[in-house]
Amino acid sequence: MKKLILLVRANLRRSKTQTISIFVLVLLASMLLNIWLMLSLDYKQNFWRCHDRLNAEHVTMILDNSQDEFCNFLEEAVKKEKDTSEYSIDKAFWLSGTVDYNGGMLSSNFFILEKDMACRRLIGKYEIIEESEFKSGIYLPMLFAMGKNYSVGDIIEISCGNHVLSYTVCGFYNSAMTGSHNCGMCAFLVTEDVWQELGEKAFVPASTMLSVRLHDKSQSEAYEAVIKNTVSKEFPSIRALNNSWDTVSKSRYISQMICSGIVSAMACFVIIISLVVIASGITNDIRENMKNLGALKAAGYTSRQLTGVFYIQFLGLTLTGGAAGIALSYCLFPAVNEMMVSQTGIPYNIHFLFQPFVITFLVLGGTSILVVYLSSRTVKKIDVIAALRQGVETHNFKKNYFPLIHTRLPLQTALALKTTFSGAKKNITVCITMLVLALIMVFSGVMIRNVVFDIQPMINLIVGEIADSCVNVAAEQEEEFLELLYKDDRVEKVYLYNDIEVRHVGHIALNLIVTDDCTKINNQNMCIEGRFPKFENELLLGAKYAQEQGLKVGDEITLTADGNSADYIICGFTQTSNYLGKDCLMLRSGYKRMGVIPYLSYYINTAEKVDIDVLNRELTEKIGDGIKYTVNIQDAIAGTVSVYVSVIIMIVVVILILSVIIIAFVLFLLVRTLLAHKKHDYGVLKALGFTTGQLIVQTALSFMPAVLLSFAVGLIISMLVINPLIALFLSGIGMVKCTFEIPVGWIMIMGAGMAGFAFGFVCLLAVRIRKIAPREMLNGE
Amino acid sequence: MAPILLKTENLSKSFSNGGALQHVLRNIDLQLYKGDFTVIMGASGAGKSTLLYALSGMDTPTLGTITFGEKIISKLSPDGLAIFRREHCGFVFQQIYLIEGMSIMDNVLAAGLLVNQNKKALIGHARELFQAVDISEETQNKFPSQISGGEAQRVGIVRALINSPEILFADEPTGALNSKTGLDVLNTLTRFNEAGQSVVMVTHDMRSARRGNRILYLKDGIITGECNLGSYLPEDRERHKKLQNFLQQMGW
Repeated sequence: MKKLILLVRANLRRSKTQTISIFVLVLLASMLLNIWLMLSLDYKQNFWRCHDRLNAEHVTMILDNSQDEFCNFLEEAVKKEKDTSEYSIDKAFWLSGTVDYNGGMLSSNFFILEKDMACRRLIGKYEIIEESEFKSGIYLPMLFAMGKNYSVGDIIEISCGNHVLSYTVCGFYNSAMTGSHNCGMCAFLVTEDVWQELGEKAFVPASTMLSVRLHDKSQSEAYEAVIKNTVSKEFPSIRALNNSWDTVSKSRYISQMICSGIVSAMACFVIIISLVVIASGITNDIRENMKNLGALKAAGYTSRQLTGVFYIQFLGLTLTGGAAGIALSYCLFPAVNEMMVSQTGIPYNIHFLFQPFVITFLVLGGTSILVVYLSSRTVKKIDVIAALRQGVETHNFKKNYFPLIHTRLPLQTALALKTTFSGAKKNITVCITMLVLALIMVFSGVMIRNVVFDIQPMINLIVGEIADSCVNVAAEQEEEFLELLYKDDRVEKVYLYNDIEVRHVGHIALNLIVTDDCTKINNQNMCIEGRFPKFENELLLGAKYAQEQGLKVGDEITLTADGNSADYIICGFTQTSNYLGKDCLMLRSGYKRMGVIPYLSYYINTAEKVDIDVLNRELTEKIGDGIKYTVNIQDAIAGTVSVYVSVIIMIVVVILILSVIIIAFVLFLLVRTLLAHKKHDYGVLKALGFTTGQLIVQTALSFMPAVLLSFAVGLIISMLVINPLIALFLSGIGMVKCTFEIPVGWIMIMGAGMAGFAFGFVCLLAVRIRKIAPREMLNGE
Repeated sequence: MAPILLKTENLSKSFSNGGALQHVLRNIDLQLYKGDFTVIMGASGAGKSTLLYALSGMDTPTLGTITFGEKIISKLSPDGLAIFRREHCGFVFQQIYLIEGMSIMDNVLAAGLLVNQNKKALIGHARELFQAVDISEETQNKFPSQISGGEAQRVGIVRALINSPEILFADEPTGALNSKTGLDVLNTLTRFNEAGQSVVMVTHDMRSARRGNRILYLKDGIITGECNLGSYLPEDRERHKKLQNFLQQMGW
């Protein structure tokens, strides 16, 4: 063993650069793999842990009625359900309003609880994360403390119609089910004095909050539907805001899912590259040290001992690099965590995870052992005498590529192509690298075009439909409202776009968009298959949901709302992320078959440079209490989408940086190996009169066929698969089809730039040829 | 007297060895003449190869000048020297150094196409040279590892002559060959020299040295003696004796 260690040390000393390169690649692979495993194995469980710690509910409902009669009815209904394990019925205020958030506006249905009561609750307990000395004010979800949002002592203004409520931020809280506006329900906790004040304000309806823990949490959606149906039968005009375990656990981890998907792809890529580099390292070692290996064999070393040296050397390197990578992943995880928490809203305590640690080691160790086994098998075939004389011939002389006697190519190009065709492994490595680089470039190009430069396509994909303003008006004042808008020069288009909850089989909640005229919808790409509904018995169904249920265009489904059911024919599919793909759209005449809508949301497109806030204010003043709330959609979108945009920008930047590092490493290793192989040849060519510049260009040219071909093929394939791939990444939030514009011109320019960069970078690396002195060739060996 | 092809003035070369300067060549003044077969001899470490590197533009001197025609080559950059070598010099190495990944013909053409853009004429010239050194057309399409050492060295000579160089430099061209193949190589060099090709050869083998008409003896970096043997005749015993006496005088 001691002897083998000595040989390993000699190998490491001889190939310092290769050792460092493999160490860095393994380190990156291990870091990415461990981050991915941490995200996928533990990060989501954090929600479950948080849920357990706070003894959180599986179903939450806010109902805009607080009378004793209603509360008693609700309690009876809950008691009757056999799935009910524990429940809590508390007083709350319901507030449909708008607040400043993430540099934009956030419009949502908020509900307000008294802070001390909320913290005392036995189920669905609220946990104060940050406290202050302020005695009067509001506690916000910790999501509001992220980035440059709110700090303790700040004033938060909640606009509700033409009323504005201002409170001092006293602190931040954590809640499993109601701590994020991304899940549809977001609570604010207020101090006792603020709670009393709110009770006196007519525009803040007193409501009831129902929290239920179930025996079987997988039934949360069905349970929610049953209670809602029971309540709406007895109290038809009641409004309800609700969420369930199923919905929350999915929607709070959208960014985690996207991020872990990308990190896993990057990890696989770096692992493959590391293994290719290890394999080529071993092959080169054997080729370059054939005489030494022959001498060792002659001295009595067995093939097993010699291959054992490779096992010790590369497995040791992999495990050391792996350990360093795992350590690095823990150093970088706080940054990843911060990015994720800005979307999940649930604090995550970074701690050592044994399972990812073991899996990372097993994957890296196992694959390295396999590669060492496959690459070092040639050692067994070494014949001692042949190795001592000249080394085992590894060139393939069956074909003389580009014979100079026949080719019409310039000399430099022909010699470069000879080098290209003599290095299959080099070409394979280049091809793998360039194919992945092409995919990364296309992904980055698509993201930059559709997110960073112009956010509209991203908004269309994620949000579905946007306009400039949304006004929620009472049905009885609809005519007056529309008349006002039709006369207003500032308004270009106004159309009904009202969302309301309906139920499908098994009580599955679907978000239904009701409109009068589908041609007025701004995002006509909302319909991704089939057509918009034209008749009252037609509907556009969420594609993801249709896939899950096995529904096709032309099928008929039964929906329930307000206790009434009606059948509808699916005329097409739509997709939005708001309800994780559980969406549908129909005409108002269609909805009337089930129920009525007491308050209608209208979307308004304004002319350019119109102050939307002024328009909304004027409408509220003219219509009065008939307008329940107004939303400046552009501001609201900016606030909501900015989280996703910042996550995507960070992801794009990180993968671009990683890609450049990895590609630089790969090229560095390939050029280094090539120069080591061709040192003699280059010395001879220099002696014959080739200049350093000619040899550098020849070296760079030898890489170009593989670079250009694989890059071109990679770009074409990537452009074809990028939209389906993005849709796959986003399938968790209801996406089945992505129609992002592919900036072909930009990608081509970047591709040409990247090929130029590869050529230039190889030239730069090949400058070492300058050091090859032709006089060394005249020395006897 | 034949015209001077290459001359040196105060040519010196030193190497740093562990911080201490080692003077390998010391103030050498030398002229090489057109059409000569100059042989450089000397004991191991005398500086023979270093002198050959310097004369052929493979290396630059530490001091002094080397002039080729009117051009001072000792002041050229590495790339300038490469261009000088390709245009004016041919090389035959002891270890031959054919490029393994190329066929025999490609090895020759790779050197030829650097200078001569007329491919057809170049191929014709290569074929003539191959014929002159008795390399068959079949062998021309083989790879270096598929031919014998003697054949490889003759290919090396063809490669060195493909650009019709003014000087052919040969460093121990028979050093890696057996007696029979070594003799073939020497005969080839002699034939080309008789046809007017200037040759400068480093050797420590008397049998090889006998082919030269001018013998230079190098000792401790200085040319200590010179012997003119006249034109080579195969059965000239006096020539052998003269060389032997010269070398004895030099302390060989």
